[in-house]
This record gives sequence, structure tokens and C-alpha cells, in this order.
Amino acid sequence: MRTHRPEPHTLAGAYALDALTGADQARFERHLARCRQCAAELSGLREATARLAAAAAAQPPAGLTQRAVAAAAQTRQLPPLTRDTSRRWPGRHAAAVGSAGPAAGTPGRSSFRRAWLPKLALALAGAMVILAATLGLAARGAQHQLQQDQLNSHAIAVVLTARDATMISAPVSTGGTATIVMSARDHALVFAAAGLAALPSTSCYELWLMGSGGDQPAAMLPAPRRGMTGPVLATRLQPGDRLGLTIEPAGGSPHPTTPAILQIKL
Amino acid sequence: MAELPVLLERVARGERDAFEDLCRHIAAPVFGTVRAVVRDRPQSEEVTQEVLVEVWQCASRFDPGRGSALAWVTTIAHRRAVDRVRSEQRSAQRELRAAAHAVDYDDVAETAEANLDAERVRRCLRSLTELQREAIILAYYGGYTYRQVAALLEVAAGTVSTRMRDGLIRLRDCLGAEP
Repeated sequence: MRTHRPEPHTLAGAYALDALTGADQARFERHLARCRQCAAELSGLREATARLAAAAAAQPPAGLTQRAVAAAAQTRQLPPLTRDTSRRWPGRHAAAVGSAGPAAGTPGRSSFRRAWLPKLALALAGAMVILAATLGLAARGAQHQLQQDQLNSHAIAVVLTARDATMISAPVSTGGTATIVMSARDHALVFAAAGLAALPSTSCYELWLMGSGGDQPAAMLPAPRRGMTGPVLATRLQPGDRLGLTIEPAGGSPHPTTPAILQIKL
Repeated sequence: MAELPVLLERVARGERDAFEDLCRHIAAPVFGTVRAVVRDRPQSEEVTQEVLVEVWQCASRFDPGRGSALAWVTTIAHRRAVDRVRSEQRSAQRELRAAAHAVDYDDVAETAEANLDAERVRRCLRSLTELQREAIILAYYGGYTYRQVAALLEVAAGTVSTRMRDGLIRLRDCLGAEP
């Protein structure tokens, strides 16, 4: 059955039902990009699925809409497409836009949806692979875990997919390797580490942003899982900051009380 | 819901009161769809909120020339819902579970609020062949891929894909033909 490949055109129904994944989906989308008739058919089928949705309508609990309105107030909207080139209305990628939307720059070109979103997806996948590989993790399981646990965190995804994201790795003097992915534009970085020395329960690792304004606590590192610590997000980076890691009494300190075991110039 | 495109246009310009109005119209179909697929209530609420925020975020991408506002919104909702269940459960587990929890339109309609759409959809679903109907219901309300549907119904994947398409075309015509 795996090898069975129906004619791409006949997949329009499955696509409208979001029942295509992986290679099947990619194949239909390639076909769709060239087939005007399919696009027209697809929009008709979407009207049918919309009625399936309307038939299932149920009022959400009180307060949910208000929470969405409040969340929207803090969410940047995507600019309109300047020239319409996408036939993938509203596009498989609509979901990707939502999960990493604020990372979007201003699309100055018409092929935004077509060119940029797959790149975003690729960059995101790439960042995860690199992060997992750098951390020396058994790639598949660990990467999956990372994606499940951490990519749900919107803010981390935003940094990992920022256009200006840069990655730096450095050894920790007490053992282990730290990796950061940083976006200067978002004033944020994602920190992860592998193989950090285990600490007694009376101590913890604490991250600092060290700059002209003094040393600011950035984050406490959680307990490692399968040898991996993080990823954690640090925000409000200032130009010229250095990232520092120290060992502090459990619960953390307002200022570093021990020498840094890692310093990275950001 | 003739006012939806107008509201979406205003939402695209960042008007928050328009977004509140819009939410009043779309929250129920979005939540109902998400809940049908996701099942778990707290997660359904979470996904619903994500969908509403996504509608706010992407409102400028809605193109009325390509279909109705409701179809645009529910497409986002359904995708988000299936993304959630697919990221959470390996397909094998889902296939096992499916045997125990067959997806049934009556289940969905029963928990949905009584509405005209539900009645019409029920009538139109009845006009499909059994395979068309089951394939569509398993995919849409169950969140299964067409290959999973094929495995569940013990039919070739190619047959399922054509039945899904034929069934949706029939459903579209049936629903469109009614007032």
C-alpha cells in the first residue's frame, strides 16, 4: 500500500480533508501549483468541509474568546501579500504562519508564501537538526522530543526561525557543551547544553546576561533530561552583552556568586 | 454569515472590536471542529484559542475570490486540530485506538448544538455511498490520513482517495442545492 500512488488529481478530496501527509501532500501540492482546475475544485470541496465544520459547531467555554482577543492584542499581524501568486488558498502553510508568525519579516515580494514559508519550515527543521546534532543526541528520538516539548513554545520557535539567527557553541569549563541560537533582531536567544556536570540538589546552573548595565539573571537551567539541558529562552539582550553561566545555590541568585564556567560574547 | 468577509477585512486592518465580533461568529464552528478531532477538552480549548489568534494574524491573507470566509477559517481550524493529534500520537497507536473508538457522525452531531447545518449535513451524508461517507467522516472528524482510513476500512488507498473526492463533490452539490 505504501507504494501505491494514486493520480495526483484524485487526491484533491483527501487534501481538502487534510488527510494527506508527507510525500503524498508534497506531491499533490506540486500538482496543485500547476493545475488551475484543481485549485478551483479544491475551493469547492473546502466549502463542503466548511459545512461539516458548521455542523459540528459547539460553543466554547466562557472566557475563551476573551482570552483569544487578549492574546491577539499582543500578536503582530502579517502584512498582506502584495501580489497574489499563491494558489494554495489558504495553504497548508497557514498553520506554520501561525506558529511562527511574529518571526516573519516584511515580505517585500510577491512570492512570499511560496518562497518564504517553505524556507521557514526548512530553517526550523534545519535548526532542530543542527541543535540536536550539536548536542550529540541520538538525532531522531531526541529531535522528536525537542520538537514536541519545546517547539510548542512559540517564543523559542520564533528565535530558532529568525532570519538573523546565528548559532554559537562553546565548551563549559566544568564539563559539557553549550549551544545558543541567537536573534539580535528579536533580542533573544535559545540556550541548550549537553553533558553538563550533575549538580547536588543544593546547587543549580544559572544563566546571566552580562553587560554594561551589570549582570542580569537571564534564566535558571532546568534539570537535564537524557543528558540534555534546555532549551531555555533568554530575552532582552542588549548590544554588547555576554552570556554567562554560573553555579548558584538552589533557587538562584540575584547576582552571580561564583566565577563563570562559560562566557560567550553575543 | 454574509458579514464575515467584511469583518475579516476590518480585522486585517487591526480593528480589535471587529475581531471580537468575528470571534462571536466563528468560535462555535471552530471549537466544535477542533473538539471533534482532538477530543480532549482542555487541548481543544487551547487549539481553539490558537486558531482564533491565527485568524487575527493572517486575516490579510484571506482572499474572498478564493472561497468563503467560513471555509477559510474552518480550514485553519481543522488543520490545527489534525496537526495537534498527529504530533501527539503515533499513527500506529491511533490505528489501534480507532478500532475501539469508531468515529461516528452521530457522535459529532449529538455533542454539537442543534443547528440547521447539522440536519442538512446529515441528510446529505446519507445520500453518499457508505464508503464515501465513512472515508469522509473518518478523515474530517477523526483526523485520519487517507492511508490510515484505507487501513481502517481495508480498502486500497487509491480507492479511498477517489471516494473522498467523489463524496465531497456530491456533498458540495447536495448542500449547495439546498436553500
